[in-house]
Amino acid sequence: MRTVRVAGRNYGLQVVVLVIIAVALVVTTPSFQGESAVFASLERLTLVGITAAGLAVTMIAGELDMSVGSMAVLSGVIAIQFGDLGLVPAIAIATVAGIVLGALQGFLIAKLGINSLVFTVGTLILFRGAAWLVAGGGPVTLQNFRATDPLLERYGVFSPTSIVAIIVIAVIGIFLAWTRWGREIYAIGGARAEATAAGVPVRRSLVLAFMISGGTAALAGALSSMKGASATPDSFGSLLLTAVAACLIGGISLYGGRGDIINIVLGVLILSVLSAGMAAQGAQSYVTELFTGALLLIVITVDFVVGQIYRRRKLLNVRSHLVAEPAR
Amino acid sequence: MTVTTPSGTGASVAAATKQDRRMSVVRTASRWGLPILLVVLVVVATITTGDFMTFDNIRAILINTAIVGIVAVGMTPVTLSGNFFSLGAGQSTMLAATVFLVIVGAGSPVALAALVAIVVLVAVGIVQALVVAAGLNPVITTLAVGSIIYGLVTFATGGSVVTAQGADIGWLATGSFLGLPLPVYVFFVFTLIVWFLVDRTVAGRRITLVGSNRESARISGINVRTTTIWAFVMMSLGMGIAGVLSAAQLGQVTSGDLTSLTIDTVAAVLVGGTAIQGGEGSPIRSAVGALIIVILGNVMLLHGLPTGLRMLGVGALVVVVVSVLHVLRKVAAR
Repeated sequence: MRTVRVAGRNYGLQVVVLVIIAVALVVTTPSFQGESAVFASLERLTLVGITAAGLAVTMIAGELDMSVGSMAVLSGVIAIQFGDLGLVPAIAIATVAGIVLGALQGFLIAKLGINSLVFTVGTLILFRGAAWLVAGGGPVTLQNFRATDPLLERYGVFSPTSIVAIIVIAVIGIFLAWTRWGREIYAIGGARAEATAAGVPVRRSLVLAFMISGGTAALAGALSSMKGASATPDSFGSLLLTAVAACLIGGISLYGGRGDIINIVLGVLILSVLSAGMAAQGAQSYVTELFTGALLLIVITVDFVVGQIYRRRKLLNVRSHLVAEPAR
Repeated sequence: MTVTTPSGTGASVAAATKQDRRMSVVRTASRWGLPILLVVLVVVATITTGDFMTFDNIRAILINTAIVGIVAVGMTPVTLSGNFFSLGAGQSTMLAATVFLVIVGAGSPVALAALVAIVVLVAVGIVQALVVAAGLNPVITTLAVGSIIYGLVTFATGGSVVTAQGADIGWLATGSFLGLPLPVYVFFVFTLIVWFLVDRTVAGRRITLVGSNRESARISGINVRTTTIWAFVMMSLGMGIAGVLSAAQLGQVTSGDLTSLTIDTVAAVLVGGTAIQGGEGSPIRSAVGALIIVILGNVMLLHGLPTGLRMLGVGALVVVVVSVLHVLRKVAAR
């Protein structure tokens, strides 16, 4: 009973929103049904899903990596420039670049003890500049077109990129829930002073968190650029917004320590279904952005109000216990 | 005992003065670092770059700074009040520009249209302030409001270009006095007004107090909600004015314009040295921050450096300045 209530409190709102959106879109859109609808929704996992899963790790650590959009651009450009080496090496090089830059960023944030929001605003500009440089000042296209053929295959409702996305999200979920380093990220996000006092190495956790957010953003950028066989240094402008929105709508707290992989999956699914359904309706991207913004505001407001009521009720409970048993 | 006490006191006095000296060095560095950086930048630029110290170039720099500077100055009270910054600055400014152009295009006087645009923005700002003061995170709130504004404006305009329909608004951008166009003067005057409001009025001092310690401000009887509203009103005024001026500069606007304004503005506030935790900073510093970023970009442009290197330079500047200021503050607090 208690687990049901906890699950309801943690995921209830998100599940309701997801069901409402999915049903509404399926009913109103004839072209958004069955296998093709599932495929289209899963396709959106590649960019937003992978990025959001990594971003969620920094949010759980109580930080925010504003540079993910620029990181995705930089890595997309790198992957295309190394396209001649073949599909997997190109994506691997780009992802490793993201991991290294992310780790460096995390190290500096931990070493300086600086607010990550402030620091990553700087690297947001820096990485985008680097992307322009690597691209040589304009859009780059893949010379070796055949290289990306494997990415365009389709297995039922899955594509190679959506399978990668699902694997990445699952690995991050396992890492957060069942490994010592994952639990330490919760600890420094939920109560940093207490975690430090208890001997949790804050620096290692921060390096790890930013390494993951940098690496996942890079992987997402590389995969989706390779799939499109081109990259533009000023693309992915709204990726940060969408990824942050996915995490928050899913129920990851910006104050750290709260949320798990189910929250990430729910948030990403809500936005994936929404944007895939809107695209099937023939709506333009601004409609999706409008709905994303509104949804974000609604979910955080409801969450805030429910949290207040919950806390008040808990307080009343404690108080009535105290009144009932004054002897103790 | 009688022998050791004086020497002990002497040692502690020496330690205290040493600490004081270190503190004052740190304080001087964080107070004068920014103006010194500006002067050094200008001197280096003048020496290395032939075309830098020409009137036309200085004029171009000031024009380029004006829009970002006005928004950054307006955003400073919000940062000071501990509410970080608006991640919807670009979209809000775009909204003001669109409202202004639509009303001017319908044939109403320029002053009335500008007023309506600014009033609309202030209304949007007050709504955000109420939400934020209730306890919701300002970064998320402004992010969400920004994407809602973008969606609604695109919906209303059909994503097409909005123009002034031939109405004469160009003078707002080009009308000049002593060789400098109107937006530059608006930037100066707006900076002085916001500085005066923040530094010399009760409502402004409350903003800083709420930012430096929200709880003690509340306990000493300051209304946090009213104070937050004041901060957001100043920000909205800046965005409204900047929107009107950029509409006049460009003569047209689409809902996808001004997207880079948000990050440029935040970068200006941060380089200016306003503390992200709130309670420390000044609108004038943000104006100088905006100026430094534009000058750096301008010098690199004059040297023929490509877009990528210029962005890289600005990004590196933000990272370094923000890190150095942070370390200085940490040393001062020790």
